[in-house]
Amino acid sequence: MHIQVDQLTKEFGSFTSVHNLSFSVNAGEVYGFLGQNGAGKSTTIRMILSLIKPTHGSIKLFGKSIQTDREYILSRTGAMVEKPDLYKYLNAIDNMKIFSKYGGLSLSREDIMNQLAVVGLESRAHDKVKKYSQGMKQRLGIAIAMVNNPDLIILDEPTNGLDPQGITDIRNLILMLSREKKKTVVVSSHLLSEVEQIADSMLIINKGKKIVEGRVSDLLNPGKIQLEIETLNNEEAKLILSSSAWANSLNGNSMDKLIVEVNRTNIQDLSKYLVDHGVGLIGIKSVNSLEAYFLSLTSDHAV
Amino acid sequence: MQYSRITYIELYKIFRNPRTYIAFSVVALVVGLIQLGFYTDGETYLEFGLRSLTDTFDLHGKILNGYLMAYIILQTLLVNLPLLVSLVAGDMISGEASIGTLRLILTKPISRNTLVMAKFTAAGIYTLVLLLWMAFWSLGISVLIFGADDMLILKSDMITQILSNDVLWRYIAAFGFAIIAMLTVASLSFFLSVFAENSIGPIMTSMSIIIVFTIINTLDLPIFNHIKPYLFTSHMLGWKGFFDIRVNENNEQIVGSIENLPGVLTSAGILILHILGFLWASIVVFKRKDILS
Repeated sequence: MHIQVDQLTKEFGSFTSVHNLSFSVNAGEVYGFLGQNGAGKSTTIRMILSLIKPTHGSIKLFGKSIQTDREYILSRTGAMVEKPDLYKYLNAIDNMKIFSKYGGLSLSREDIMNQLAVVGLESRAHDKVKKYSQGMKQRLGIAIAMVNNPDLIILDEPTNGLDPQGITDIRNLILMLSREKKKTVVVSSHLLSEVEQIADSMLIINKGKKIVEGRVSDLLNPGKIQLEIETLNNEEAKLILSSSAWANSLNGNSMDKLIVEVNRTNIQDLSKYLVDHGVGLIGIKSVNSLEAYFLSLTSDHAV
Repeated sequence: MQYSRITYIELYKIFRNPRTYIAFSVVALVVGLIQLGFYTDGETYLEFGLRSLTDTFDLHGKILNGYLMAYIILQTLLVNLPLLVSLVAGDMISGEASIGTLRLILTKPISRNTLVMAKFTAAGIYTLVLLLWMAFWSLGISVLIFGADDMLILKSDMITQILSNDVLWRYIAAFGFAIIAMLTVASLSFFLSVFAENSIGPIMTSMSIIIVFTIINTLDLPIFNHIKPYLFTSHMLGWKGFFDIRVNENNEQIVGSIENLPGVLTSAGILILHILGFLWASIVVFKRKDILS
């Protein structure tokens, strides 16, 4: 087990950012850390990395406490916390050199170029960082996180602010790190569809509290699909479905959206039933299953 | 080992940052302008200033020389140098916080104490280099342009003459003292930098503190007289003490003497205590600080 967090709490004055949070991350897996903005993800990650001191609770990485064995743990860990701007007046190579030296390493130019190649920046290695796009800075940040060849990589919101191509690049990079380099990767995000595509396990938190933790495959039912149905009168459609054999398919608490969870083979029957009962059907679209799951969980725990 | 490695990195970052050279450019520009001004109109200016003296005495030699120029430049520039020192010292931690590199650095296996010590050392070395740069321009170039001779210092109630062979060591000592004074400013800015998440705050606050303390120093009111000895700004001009010479019973200057050496040393001691205090406080605060930037 690479990370073991027990009863972690962080209070800022009277505000509790993280409340009795416990979870564990196994070696070699991609672990998704999900929550809405302000849910406490970054605070938790910062506590894991000893950037913030917990109010209560314990954090162990590689079986050792972050409070007593900080330097050993950080020598085996790489991290990128939110969006680093880096040293804009230096190029990628110099930035890499600086952070490798902070880590106690003295990398050759060849080593640095190899690491930049992993994140696809070798052709821009000599450009000053001020000329980089946000996506390139994110990739350089990941290269810096990996500069000490860590066993554990922690990425806080790595796709934040990126365009679709940038998001895809980062996703592929994380998958490569996990599958080819055999790294343990913790990824936090509020982009749930992203985590669903890369994570083996996940933790969902809301308002600093754990909502659910487990393997993504166990938490989701692959045989079923979440559908969002748009009608001329959603309230009426919901009433019709709730008094029918489809009642158990209704999902979510949202009043303005009609969301159902059905077997993929039953979609046609459902649409026929609604039309036969006079519902003005505008459209049916699948919604990301994890997103719907997440929304239902967080709305249940909200307020 | 870790300390020297990180100090090297911090120095590398300082001297690769184009912003660092603003201070060096400003010093060269201001000193150059003063030298140009005195080169063209200096004799007339001094003639006017010494008119009452020349009516009574015969003055021989080159009064407008490099040593006098250096003194004039130091008096003008040392008051403004704190801002240039703050530009870098106040940015050491807060600047890293604002661009997000502080959290990246602290995810590497280095201790916070070592990081603060290394950053402080780097800021100190920058201050030292800036003072040496100023010494080169104000003394070295001035002597080159205006030559060397005995130095006359005009004060409100007296004139001090220092023989040319008695001047250089005084300048070395004065620059040594100025380094301590500027390190005090650097350590104040550095300390404020620990709290901030952008460098404007520490720089502005440092300058505000210096301005307020300096105003208190200039006000001759009993209420402030009690606190003046404890304000570091009261001691920052202690370098001038190296140019006050003792005289013997025949009213002849004693070569190699300083009129109030204990006073100069006390000022230096108080400044050093401030430096150590600010450094200690920076370490304590930074060690406990939650990195939220």
